[in-house]
Amino acid sequence: MPPTLDPQLLVVSGGGLLAGLGLLVRGLGGYRRAGRIADTAPSRIASIAVGEVLVSGVVEAAELTLVSPLQSVDCVFYQSRIEEANGETIGTEFREERAVGFRIRDDTGSLRVFPRGARFDIPPVFDERSGVLGEEPAGLMMRAGATYAPPADRDAQIAALLTVHAPAGPLPSGGEVDDGWRGFASDHILDGHYTSAPRRHYREARLAPGDIVTILGMALPFDQLADPTGADGAGSVDPVLADPEIAADLASARAAGTLRSPEGAWGNAAIPGFGIGRPVRTPELDDAATEPPLAAADDAQRFERTFEIAADALILAASETVPLVIAGGPPVAAADRQERLFLIGLLGAVLAIGSAMAMAVMVGGGIGGP
Amino acid sequence: MNPLTVAALFAVVLALLIVAFLALTTYNAIVDLRLRIDKAWSNIDVALKQRFDQLPNLVEAVRDVMSWEKDVLTDVAAARAAYSPSAPIPDQAATSAATTSAVRSLFAVVERYPEVRSAANVLALQEEIERLESIIADRRELYNDQVYRYNTRIAQVPAVLLAGLFSWRARPFFEVPDADRRRPNADLRADTNPQPD
Repeated sequence: MPPTLDPQLLVVSGGGLLAGLGLLVRGLGGYRRAGRIADTAPSRIASIAVGEVLVSGVVEAAELTLVSPLQSVDCVFYQSRIEEANGETIGTEFREERAVGFRIRDDTGSLRVFPRGARFDIPPVFDERSGVLGEEPAGLMMRAGATYAPPADRDAQIAALLTVHAPAGPLPSGGEVDDGWRGFASDHILDGHYTSAPRRHYREARLAPGDIVTILGMALPFDQLADPTGADGAGSVDPVLADPEIAADLASARAAGTLRSPEGAWGNAAIPGFGIGRPVRTPELDDAATEPPLAAADDAQRFERTFEIAADALILAASETVPLVIAGGPPVAAADRQERLFLIGLLGAVLAIGSAMAMAVMVGGGIGGP
Repeated sequence: MNPLTVAALFAVVLALLIVAFLALTTYNAIVDLRLRIDKAWSNIDVALKQRFDQLPNLVEAVRDVMSWEKDVLTDVAAARAAYSPSAPIPDQAATSAATTSAVRSLFAVVERYPEVRSAANVLALQEEIERLESIIADRRELYNDQVYRYNTRIAQVPAVLLAGLFSWRARPFFEVPDADRRRPNADLRADTNPQPD
């Protein structure tokens, strides 16, 4: 009797084979990263030397912070995603990843980090699903305002921490009006027939001021970065720099010498405090533009300290030879996470082999078949 | 070919690929570790050289006023003269420790000479040498940590399987042999020391 192929089983075993190989490839990458982290001795920031370094410390905000989309938390990096399962289909409703420059501090000093081009390995801090009735998970507080915010003042943060707040009421999410059970009933019980509510999966990984972080990257003096664009970029991989028109503009600006000073390169944006509407000196504006008020002397000093980076100050960034890895937690935790990926990858190999065997059995019509 | 044979072949090839990947990654990781140790050592060497360059300035700045403290000044000069960038690492560690000890003795003695202690150039030199001492201490720690990681790695599976093949041997730490340790010779009892005129 000729062997009969069950298409469903064949698809399942084919999927298992591909998934197993995918897990294996991811795991082998994790093995390499774990080795890189575990094999590099952490440097102290005060005595750091130029070259590839591993630094572990606490995140501090620099000029700006971000507001995370799902929980509205001030942070320097977030990766947020909302997936919606509706019946048999799962779709990504929202996906966003952003980072801004920040500082890392250990017990000897602090160092500026330019995160562009970095590979982030931050475990999710918010991983929840909406309920079966469509209710939103506790802790969801969708961002309602701007993505960027000035870093919170330290005294204000302490005061906020010591203040007892009244419990907040239900908050709007994604612009929808939350009318509780009645809303759910009108949406999902139609003509006496129940229709299941789409279930949403919310996930947010972020790096906030105060979090412990491990960074593996290139330490180099700030003035050794080619230009302000290069300061945040990872070389040729930046699609903006690859644009021939932009590249030509940059070349002519360099030739004209306008990139030699921050003022020449950035104009008003080089004035500390200009970005947050309180410049430390008068900007050059069009006549019709509203002139922002100058910062007070104390604020001006603080802005200068915050925004100015000395030419010989060492910073951490990605380079073409040394990729930047930013991992949450101390080095041991970061390496452990990558090693776990490797173990999962080995299980993936077992899955791939098992799936291949299953396919062979099906195609061959059973063990001992032709 | 029998599909089961193909599947078995696939399993063997996959296993071999994983083993080859581990061997290659381990080899590259060990090469990386050795280069990191060399770099960590170079960074110590830079700081040692900077301190070596600063010591004559310090001795020169205090020599006239502290002519009574010949022993301390001689110790600093001798420690400086013993510096040799090409010496083996344990020898350099011993020289570095002796230099640190001599410099600390000098600073302790300088405390008894208010006119020297308050001189701007001495203060600046003292600050700079203390900064370099701190950098040397931090970088020595980094170097030793890197050596520890390397020595541990080549003693563990899978690197130990390749260690014999590629003659990887443990690297020395930057530490002073017990026999070379010595106490600072500064006599801090102010009343028993002759005071300068």
